[in-house]
Amino acid sequence: MENTTIQDLIGIEHSKLNFFQELQQTIVELKASHEKSEAQRREFAAIFDGITDLMMVLSEDMRIISVNHVFMEIFPEGDPRGKYCYELFTGNNVPCPKCPAFQSLRYDKVSKETAIFRIGNRNMHFEMVSSPLKSPHLKEHQVVIFKRNVTMEKEYQAKFYQAEKMATMGVLAAGVAHEINNPLTAVSGFAEGIRRRIPKLEGHMDEKLIDDFKEYTDTILKECQRCQAIVQTLLTFSRPTKAAFQPVDINSVVEDTVRILQHHFKKRPGLTVVLQLQRGLPHIIGDEAQLKQVALNLLTNAVDAIEDNGTVTVTTDHAPETQGVRLMVQDTGCGIPEDKLNKLFEPFFTTKPVGKGIGIGLATCYSIVQEHEGDISITSALGEGTCFTVTLPQTQVGVHA
Amino acid sequence: MLVTKFAIPEIIFGKGSTKHLAQCARRLGARRVLLVSDAGLERAGWVSMIKGLLEEDLLDCVYFNNVDSNPRDHQVHEGAALYRESRADVIVGLGGGSPIDAAKGIATIVGNGGQIRDYEGANKIMRPLPPMIFIPSTAGSGSDMSQYSIITDVDRQVKMSIISRSLVPNLSIIDPTMLTTKTPELIIASAADALAHAVESYVSKAASPFTEHQALLAIRLILDNITEAAETRSLHALEQLSIASTAAGMSFSNAGLGIVHSLAHSIGARYDVLHGLVHPILLPVVMRFNLPATEKKMACIGKEVLGPRICSEHCLGEKGIDALHELFVRLGVTTRLRDILPTDSDIEAICRMAERDTCTITNPRQASWKDLIRICEEAW
Repeated sequence: MENTTIQDLIGIEHSKLNFFQELQQTIVELKASHEKSEAQRREFAAIFDGITDLMMVLSEDMRIISVNHVFMEIFPEGDPRGKYCYELFTGNNVPCPKCPAFQSLRYDKVSKETAIFRIGNRNMHFEMVSSPLKSPHLKEHQVVIFKRNVTMEKEYQAKFYQAEKMATMGVLAAGVAHEINNPLTAVSGFAEGIRRRIPKLEGHMDEKLIDDFKEYTDTILKECQRCQAIVQTLLTFSRPTKAAFQPVDINSVVEDTVRILQHHFKKRPGLTVVLQLQRGLPHIIGDEAQLKQVALNLLTNAVDAIEDNGTVTVTTDHAPETQGVRLMVQDTGCGIPEDKLNKLFEPFFTTKPVGKGIGIGLATCYSIVQEHEGDISITSALGEGTCFTVTLPQTQVGVHA
Repeated sequence: MLVTKFAIPEIIFGKGSTKHLAQCARRLGARRVLLVSDAGLERAGWVSMIKGLLEEDLLDCVYFNNVDSNPRDHQVHEGAALYRESRADVIVGLGGGSPIDAAKGIATIVGNGGQIRDYEGANKIMRPLPPMIFIPSTAGSGSDMSQYSIITDVDRQVKMSIISRSLVPNLSIIDPTMLTTKTPELIIASAADALAHAVESYVSKAASPFTEHQALLAIRLILDNITEAAETRSLHALEQLSIASTAAGMSFSNAGLGIVHSLAHSIGARYDVLHGLVHPILLPVVMRFNLPATEKKMACIGKEVLGPRICSEHCLGEKGIDALHELFVRLGVTTRLRDILPTDSDIEAICRMAERDTCTITNPRQASWKDLIRICEEAW
């Protein structure tokens, strides 16, 4: 042997080992108990493998101690153990402020929270449940976190909310239209009657008075028509059933939407709304009611972003490099922080204060635009404003207006 | 002096001491003994005698005899399998170096698992071995005393040295009457082996006062009794050789050996010659090679061979070596390498392997494989 030395031969620190029988006995016992714990381990592993939620055991400082197979499917690369949870989920080097694990550790109770994480190239919505693992033989406390991927559920939930909202609005609009149309018909009918009878008054009355009557009746009729148009527009916003795609003029979509919001704008004296609609744009094939919802959402968001004074500019034009059209809604409001930009279109994600919105508007916009095979992009600068650009392709050869 | 250690087994010595075997085995927890021995001992009747002793005491006995001279690795594994299958407890080794080394190998595998080659080298054994009782029958190998087990690795053609304090048996029962059935040739070969143990461990780098004393005692007893034992097989002379072999075993187990054994292992691995035959050939040549490095001790050996002389240490050493050589010639044993090796074509390979042998470490003079070739040429 190469590296044996005289010291090895003398072997001061090596003695004849004894207790052979006892050791054999111990080995038998250890084997039995090892088999038992191995069986237990397999049982636990089977249970854990049956859990379809992502599962992690974390240390007090959010280091990953162990994970289950679902975790490995979502983060296939490398061994996660020893890494910090937040560096994998958010890419940050600080823990997330609303982490339920802290709640669990602090108050020693089960804690729940939902959050959106961008993993790979897609946003995932997780419902998280964390429960403390306190055990007398653990050096430090640990916490077990289950994360259920609820991205799909949230999308459907948002669609459902929106549909319900629009349906409610539809019922209201239909009711209003019905109730208002009847008196309006009477008013406009009688006004027509008066206008038809005015010639009979000629020669019996003062000319000036007759001219006044003419002007009044004309005004009454014009206003009646305007009312009817408003009611009609209201009805187009909320088709309870999905209409077939038809040629749509993007400019009339914008105009109708602005008409509905006119009252809303008037309450904001510091707000200026500028329309820059390019005429002669090709019609695109789409669902008018749904596109109006998009415009409505973008406009209300733009108005909400402006605190006191500011301008909302709505622009339509030819989409560059395609046959389609573009709709741009630009505000001079507060802007959106960069870290929130990629979550804007997630259902139930909102930057608005509580009571101002539940975060389904842009999610709805996104899914509508996707159905039209278009896309939405955002540019935003904090404190300067935000611009949403919707590009809609001409899926079929449009008809020029 | 190095910090040293002197470890030996419990020893029961004396004519007829084998009759204590059964009770000693019981003390070690025996209910079913694995007896390891070989065909020669069967023919001499010793195996049935030992079996009888165990049966008389109502101890079960499982017998394993597939042991060659120079025991093989696969035989060790076979014996370990038998031990496990038969649920034996205490291992009794009966015979010369081969059955006892095989018994040590079996015990190693039983206690530690794996392959015997896993334990080649020093202090590789990490778990206790089953209790071992050895009954030496040759007064030569000293294996019943030592922490060494030499097993041949068939694939690599290497005689592996396994060194561990755990290989020292719990008990060695030395009964000189065992020697009465031996042929004179075997008596001489065994005594030559014991003498080589004594001389090599005496001049070893790791020698200590405790081993030196035993080594000199062994040298003296062998020189005084070898001729009588070979010629008349008197029980007294055989008893003295037993004492010598035991003392030499105590010495080399703790002090190590030298290049006589390195070469003997290397030759034995290749040609399977009887270990004891190689020593009379190599011992005087190696002593001459070592003389410059250890003149004082060689002079002491010379004094044992020749009695007190008034000359320089170097001269006394040389004269002692010459006298030893003459003794071997007188005893009629082979003193040329050419008589036991079929060809000299493997000398270089043999010496290269011997250079790596554990025994080379403690040789008093540094020896490269080229030095070993010169030694072999001188002995050719």
